[in-house]
Amino acid sequence: MSICHHPDESTLMAYSAGALTEGFNLVVAAHLDPCPQCRQKVAEAEALGGELLGVLPAAQMSADGLDRVWDLIDREPADSDAVVLPSAAQVESRYDLPGVLKAYLPQGLSGVHWRTVVPGIRQYVFRDIDSGSGTVRLLSIAPGTSIPQHTHCGSELTLVLRGSYGDEIGRFRSGDMADLDDSVKHQPVADTDETCICLIATDDRLKFSDMFSRLLQPLVGI
Amino acid sequence: MLAVTTLESTPQDTAVEADLLASQSVEWLVCVANDRDRLAFEKLYEHFAPKVKSYLQRQGADPATADDLAQETMAQVWRKATQYEASRAAPGAWIFRIARNLRIDRLRRQRFHEVDLTETAEIADDGMDSHTRSTDRIDASRLPAMVRELPAEQFEVIQLAYFEGMTQSEIGERLELPLGTVKSRMRLAFGKLRAAIGEQS
Repeated sequence: MSICHHPDESTLMAYSAGALTEGFNLVVAAHLDPCPQCRQKVAEAEALGGELLGVLPAAQMSADGLDRVWDLIDREPADSDAVVLPSAAQVESRYDLPGVLKAYLPQGLSGVHWRTVVPGIRQYVFRDIDSGSGTVRLLSIAPGTSIPQHTHCGSELTLVLRGSYGDEIGRFRSGDMADLDDSVKHQPVADTDETCICLIATDDRLKFSDMFSRLLQPLVGI
Repeated sequence: MLAVTTLESTPQDTAVEADLLASQSVEWLVCVANDRDRLAFEKLYEHFAPKVKSYLQRQGADPATADDLAQETMAQVWRKATQYEASRAAPGAWIFRIARNLRIDRLRRQRFHEVDLTETAEIADDGMDSHTRSTDRIDASRLPAMVRELPAEQFEVIQLAYFEGMTQSEIGERLELPLGTVKSRMRLAFGKLRAAIGEQS
């Protein structure tokens, strides 16, 4: 797989800083999973985090702080809740479903409880992930179907999990990410005979361009 | 005409001190990992716990909570020390990551979705991926100078993101700047960061 579209460097920096909403954080992590280039950039931005930590003025720790750390360590000396970070081992399933998504979708993409929005477009909204005034969702777009033209009030991150789509910006395949702000107006179309499945986070509502879609908005909730 | 020489010897001294401290921190952390060395850990605590507490207070934690979470961060440093790879990250960056994740978990009650940045085996279904390698080694020795020389308007945006955990939209609102300007300032700072690290990619 070769990834052509990446998150903006400012997005990767915000990810490293811990300054994204939980929803954006998830979508970026899902892109990092198959993208070594962006992983490298995140590691660099974390190096900056370390450097910035160093220039902060030292705060006074409580007098018994160190003793209490030893207590914590003696109570639990090893890392029992060691997080098993997603590994690159699972070749096939990996691009369909990045490791970070498995906790949310234990049965994979085939087990998703889709809800039809309009013919050809289905969605699944992640209810427990905070994304500001926006949402995190999976969108399934049938071949040849297009999403009505829209802009965004805030930002939108889209990661293609399966299939591909094309819009005014380019062609997006599995692993590609579109990192859009409010200046972009686009109309994505699933452009192969395969259903296109995307993971999308917004931090505000979409603005549809035409009247019909605007009327639709409250119904579909996107 | 000669430039006016000021008596500012401090930046140089600070840089030397920072270098020394960075190499000592690596040694301490490696001693904790390999030998469960309690004395080395106490050195790490002395240096990093007050910084982590300061970081957490900047993120809005009250002093008592920041103290607790700084202790918890240091306990995790002990527990996870064997996972530390000196060739991949400076101790400060590694500890920053632990503190950041703990902050999001405890202060925001959210999850930081993390992936293994040191992943080595990149799978390419066509075998032709041009980026088939692990995360490059990061040389952090030029970062202190990079941070010092960062233009004020870029530093402002960076610290609101790193220290206050503000999203780009929130930074835009705070500074009364369009989102695009916030993003471009971060991108510029990132460019300087990459140049300082050595543009390995």
